[in-house]
Amino acid sequence: MSATYGYTGKFLRVNLSTGEISTDDTAKYLDFIGGEGMAMKIMWDEVPAGTHPFAPENKIVFGTGPLCGSGVPCSGRTNITSLLPSNPYHAVSSSHMGGYFAVELKYAGWDLIVLEGKSPKPVWLRIEDGKVRLEDARWIWGKGIFDTMAMIGSQMGKEAQVAAIGQAGENQLNLAVIRTGSSHSAGGHGGVMGAKNLKAIAVRGTGSVKVAADRQALMDADKYMMSLIGANNQMVVPSSPLPWAEFHNPTSRWNAKPGLFWGAANPPVETGECDPRDMQSVGKRTFKAVFDLGAAAEKRTVRMGGCAHCPIRCHSQLKVDELAKYGMDTYVSNTCMGYFSPRGIMYKGIKAFDGYDAADAAVIGTALGAKLADDYGMWCNYGQIGRDVKFLYESGTFKRVLPAEEYASIPWDKLQAGDATFLIDFYDRVANKKGEIWHIADGAYWLAERWGLGKEYWDSKDVKLWSPLGFPVHHSNEAGAQVGALISCFMNRDAQNHSHMNFIGSKLPVEIQREIAGEIFGSPDALDVPNNYTRMNEYKARFVKWSLNRSRLHDSLTLCNWMWPMSVSPLKERNYRGDTGLEAKFYSLVTGIQKTEAELDRDSERVFTLFRALTVRSMGTVDMRNAHDQTVAWVTKQDAGKPQFTPGTIQMEQEDLELGRSMVYKAYGWDEKTGAPTKATLESLGLGEVAAELGAKGLLPA
Amino acid sequence: MGTTNDAARPENEAKTQSRRDFLKITGAGLAGAFAAAALGCVSVETRDGRKVKAWRTSTGAIVHDPNLCVGCRRCETACTIRNDGKASAYVSRIKVSRNLNYGPEGVTAAYAVADGQLGNFRLVGETCRQCSHPACGDACPVGAITADKKTGARVVDARRCVGCGACADACPWGIATVDPETRKSTKCLLCDGDPNCTKNCPTGAIAFYPWEEAEALLFGSDANSGASAVSGATA
Repeated sequence: MSATYGYTGKFLRVNLSTGEISTDDTAKYLDFIGGEGMAMKIMWDEVPAGTHPFAPENKIVFGTGPLCGSGVPCSGRTNITSLLPSNPYHAVSSSHMGGYFAVELKYAGWDLIVLEGKSPKPVWLRIEDGKVRLEDARWIWGKGIFDTMAMIGSQMGKEAQVAAIGQAGENQLNLAVIRTGSSHSAGGHGGVMGAKNLKAIAVRGTGSVKVAADRQALMDADKYMMSLIGANNQMVVPSSPLPWAEFHNPTSRWNAKPGLFWGAANPPVETGECDPRDMQSVGKRTFKAVFDLGAAAEKRTVRMGGCAHCPIRCHSQLKVDELAKYGMDTYVSNTCMGYFSPRGIMYKGIKAFDGYDAADAAVIGTALGAKLADDYGMWCNYGQIGRDVKFLYESGTFKRVLPAEEYASIPWDKLQAGDATFLIDFYDRVANKKGEIWHIADGAYWLAERWGLGKEYWDSKDVKLWSPLGFPVHHSNEAGAQVGALISCFMNRDAQNHSHMNFIGSKLPVEIQREIAGEIFGSPDALDVPNNYTRMNEYKARFVKWSLNRSRLHDSLTLCNWMWPMSVSPLKERNYRGDTGLEAKFYSLVTGIQKTEAELDRDSERVFTLFRALTVRSMGTVDMRNAHDQTVAWVTKQDAGKPQFTPGTIQMEQEDLELGRSMVYKAYGWDEKTGAPTKATLESLGLGEVAAELGAKGLLPA
Repeated sequence: MGTTNDAARPENEAKTQSRRDFLKITGAGLAGAFAAAALGCVSVETRDGRKVKAWRTSTGAIVHDPNLCVGCRRCETACTIRNDGKASAYVSRIKVSRNLNYGPEGVTAAYAVADGQLGNFRLVGETCRQCSHPACGDACPVGAITADKKTGARVVDARRCVGCGACADACPWGIATVDPETRKSTKCLLCDGDPNCTKNCPTGAIAFYPWEEAEALLFGSDANSGASAVSGATA
């Protein structure tokens, strides 16, 4: 291709059935930006509707974007797109991981990897710059991910970055991850790799990402970004009163402060004041170990880690010597759901033991579970697995569906007593597909079918499922009223959208946030005061569309949607204003392809509409409103007796949500009745061939 | 604060060698050595007829602290964007990526407790020591490596560099690297006295130190034991 700035210009195709390895030209797909967008186009063109995720005909695309590897802040992410086994229609979805894999892939000279077919025997893919080959993986098949990485590293060199599956992926569980580095997991597609007999992809790259712009211009943009960036999830207010800060909020992830240390560093490192103007403390401002695991984690924190080219370190890295007595490695890294998921399974809490108080025991037990799940490569369906364990146990479902002998062999007493060694037994059974209980890893929709779960499961606020498609709440109605609620209705798994959260959750006073919302979306009414919601309006619909589009943009560029967009700033002298045009600025500088913010948003809209068309095609219906976009019942009934839109309740109203759906459909130019993309809209986005295929299948709205 | 005794040796030996040579330098050579202070580096002849280069001492060097490093590798892109107009880990003049996963020793059976992201989380970055008697510069067959007039950094003149890799082979620290795309050597040039890597380190894990301090941090106050060295780098 001509434009080789940002993009490497080529991608890799690997047919695992035949062993054929070929290259393709990125330039053909530039309308789809990169990563996720290009993968959606490939899935549309090359994977027929009705394909099973574990069939050889399914493809799995590992994607990077033009900004990945360029050094643009928070650009280390890998996007993975394929058919999703946990989805009832096996619709297309993406999973993502941070770490260092994507950057290494770019430096090896590849924008994407497209894998298809099924290898006749276990293999791993070895990429050393332009030298690519499939290697026998029988010696690592059956191993956990940590040993797999080390064993591949021993063959390929210590610099190799590896993405691998564990036993969960090998055994083709629906809930399996692909993992890279110490703690970076992409949830949902591990079984697809397993079904292809592909244990791992390992990359070593000695090349570079070229930048079109004058080098000083890019350095200036980077410096400018540092005046906007907050802590993890773009929280721009510290958690405690600090001399530089006008505001503070105890729930902020900007939780560094004087007297708070990475206690297991040698010597301990004080996080300190972390003034946003001080470039040498940006990486200390987020102390996720303490945020996720409580004060007891301070003394066990070696340091904070994270991804390539990101100054915000959101993965805590812990030294937990007590794990040795369980035969486990003692260094544990993770963040957010990586910890909350095992802790959720221990739903009665983790109790004090052997002289460790409850707070300390919880850190030890959580670390134990996180390490196990990461080695087996288990996914949790965004924390759903814990709530499922609780429901299935408390409702007597486990007792009803498990064979008596199996039920009796499970150490439920440990679960009930808060003894985290329950997790050792639990993850072994599930990841290794033992008995009947492993079907908990089919995912909510499939396990409900198998085990005959009814309304008491689906309609429970405590179970926290969001969609009848079997995925849970992920920044939904609790996050900006209809904005979060509607965002959560459009994906094929949990929304994984932080475009809105990185604004709503900034911890700035709501008055300032509403002012900024007015500037971005046309009216402060785009954003409600928390717990005091108003009815749907067109500004909220704009906010929804913008959030959905930016998420596609970030997963295509590839930037981290857990930090981007930069809607706000920590600096009072900027009046806390961020810059929503920064993605376009970086895109233009790095690639040399000049695009405005509006043009790049339009490209994202193309990607999202193509994704919508893929969902229509997978489900075989245009009636997205009723077949896809609905919520389960508790969402509109959670505070029974309290009228909606009064202070103190976040419950939604069905009629209002339907109005919201109509407004979002309209904003996208989709059919307002069904929510399916129209021929005219598809054609205006340059998706004429998509319109033609949908038309031929009777899947265009009337 | 971990380091190894080995860390001190190559540089220490080089320095000893250098001083011994200096004492043997002939009168004419001595004049040359003074010239080196102004010009960066000159070749001089010893009394026993060997040619050695006399190098002006660098103003200082960059030191990496494995205890503070968070492995973001922003230093590497800061280096290569500024100096090469592209982003790369391999040709970065500060080396964090290569020890990121498993530490300097690479994969061992004890990887889970050894240095690196897949071990004890200790990240050993490696920086150019701007050696007082630089092996890279002495090895260069075309004299493409000289001491920068302003900073004293040992810098590569890309116009003269023939990409032979002699510097990379000679450097005991593995810093000098031939860029596979340009076939030119890269090594730390201290960015005209304003190193871009240190400015972009989000935890202050890398910093430029004046020569005496840099020496103490890199090799310890006791150069033989390396007892108080900060850097965990080994060759």
